[in-house]
Amino acid sequence: MLLSELTRAAPRLALVGLAKNTGKTVTLNALLAELSAAGTPVGVTSVGRDGEQHDVIDFRIDKPRVRLEEGSLVATTDALLSASGTGHELLDRTGIGTPLGEVVIARLLSAGEVEVAGPSAAQDARAMADAMLAHGAEQALIDGAIDRRAASSPHVADGLVACTGAVLSEDVHEVVARTREAIELVRLPTLAADGPLGAAAHALALAGSEHGAAVLSADGAGAALLPARYALTAQAAEIAALLAEHRDAAAIAVSGALPESFVRDVALAARRSRREITLVVADATHVFVHERGVEHYRAQGVRLAVLAPIDLLALTVNPVAPQSHSFDSARLRDLLSEEIAGVPIFDVLHPSYRGAQPPVSRALRSRP
Amino acid sequence: MPEREVDLTRVRPYADHLGDGLVQMSFTLPVPYSLAARRAALELASAMGFEEPEVVHYEQLTPGYTYFVMYVRCAATVDFASLQEEGFDIEYLSEDEIETFAAEHVRRPIVVVGASTGSDTHSVGIDAMLNLKGYHGHHGLEGYRAFETYNLGSQVPNAALLAKAIEVGADAILVSQTVTQQNLHVQNLTELVEMVEAEGRRREVILACGGPRVTNELAKELGYDAGFSKGTYPHHLASFIVRELAARAAVPR
Repeated sequence: MLLSELTRAAPRLALVGLAKNTGKTVTLNALLAELSAAGTPVGVTSVGRDGEQHDVIDFRIDKPRVRLEEGSLVATTDALLSASGTGHELLDRTGIGTPLGEVVIARLLSAGEVEVAGPSAAQDARAMADAMLAHGAEQALIDGAIDRRAASSPHVADGLVACTGAVLSEDVHEVVARTREAIELVRLPTLAADGPLGAAAHALALAGSEHGAAVLSADGAGAALLPARYALTAQAAEIAALLAEHRDAAAIAVSGALPESFVRDVALAARRSRREITLVVADATHVFVHERGVEHYRAQGVRLAVLAPIDLLALTVNPVAPQSHSFDSARLRDLLSEEIAGVPIFDVLHPSYRGAQPPVSRALRSRP
Repeated sequence: MPEREVDLTRVRPYADHLGDGLVQMSFTLPVPYSLAARRAALELASAMGFEEPEVVHYEQLTPGYTYFVMYVRCAATVDFASLQEEGFDIEYLSEDEIETFAAEHVRRPIVVVGASTGSDTHSVGIDAMLNLKGYHGHHGLEGYRAFETYNLGSQVPNAALLAKAIEVGADAILVSQTVTQQNLHVQNLTELVEMVEAEGRRREVILACGGPRVTNELAKELGYDAGFSKGTYPHHLASFIVRELAARAAVPR
């Protein structure tokens, strides 16, 4: 099945990389080529910057350009649109500023290569996607940047294509392990809204973000609100005291960001008191664990759960780390599929992939 | 003063007369001080694409290392006019103009919280921007009537910086970070942006980052509203913040 067919049901589709140079733009180009071949009108925006000539950190790395067909919609800055030299019809001025100029929405009057830099804020990216759908696009593609995940929130996009690659490590097994951890994070279990805990957490989330956090008992009855900014500031001793005070506490719901320090300190307190605590967040983009995986914290007695799931539709791989090493694509995909079940894995530049070949030179993938 | 009109579409370096392309550069080679070393410097300058290379000074730094000062000619030109049109040029306000602008358009203290985050121990950048003492005779934001500043120092975790910003109702968060080619600090910079998103405050707060390798392009990819590099003075940062706040107030979202 083609990547575009697999992702067709998501009107707003986010592309998120696990790091820079994992092949987001190559994946975007593959999707664009397939949608163009199928005659599907598309819109494109990026929370970062896409289709630039050189890597912003390592100038030696040439980047693939973004090629859009005539009639495509794009949300990018006025300066980049003019610089592309592609004829276009201006549809909206958004008033949203970026370091590269004001974001506008335009329809291309001819095919061309355009550097795409839309609004940085996820909420604004959603607004761009909605505007492009309203202007006639059948699908809006929202490209991520570096390792930023906010665009994959279910409050922004309807589906996600995640991108991983050799750039994560020189050790193929490390690439697989880190990808597995990232995908576990994306697919955290969802609390059913009709269960007692889920209902309590949902009620809390609906109450608005000013509450910040609350401690919940298993039957969902004893919700106690916690001080503002609790998950950002609470120290280990404070958390231990909280769990000692609330003997029936089964979960802590956090409306904002869940930093690793908090997860670690809850794990410490849970292990010492031999309890299990579920940390509930709005969605997976609110969880910030880098040092240890979800599995590690689960073994320590801390489960992570979300109120709204992310619909992960596909995983793409770039077997080449630019200016460094590369792996055999088929082997990398095999190793990944052994560890990560239930998600199709593609290398869109590999001969075995039968999709429309993106108009990107394979030279970009040439072995170093 | 130039005797003739500068062609802003074809600009090259200037020393004695307009368009002469003269460049002075200095570097060190890990070779012993010798005539061969001098020859190596000349060849290297040619390899860099410079014309008429001339070694005007060279000396031994330490055994096995030679330091050079060279004059070379640069034939390449750059199109300044089109860069100007691209819209990333900010016209900087003076300190007095910033105070007046803030009093007219913002009409309340502008709260700025800054730090060097993660493992970065350098606080010199953030101190230069925020502290009264400032930098090169330009005092930092602390010295302005328009600003209320909080400098949290170095090695500050993102969670702590964000908590403080929320506590004091920050209009802007300023992060100083040394970005290296190895991307060591990039994850730290994106994490702050993502945490601000998770707190649902990305549209309310101005995020600016600064560091020796930070450009507007990098800032955009990282998700910041602006990036500031070497050569930035506090009034550059202040100009951006007051203008951005005024612009946001004018366009309700």
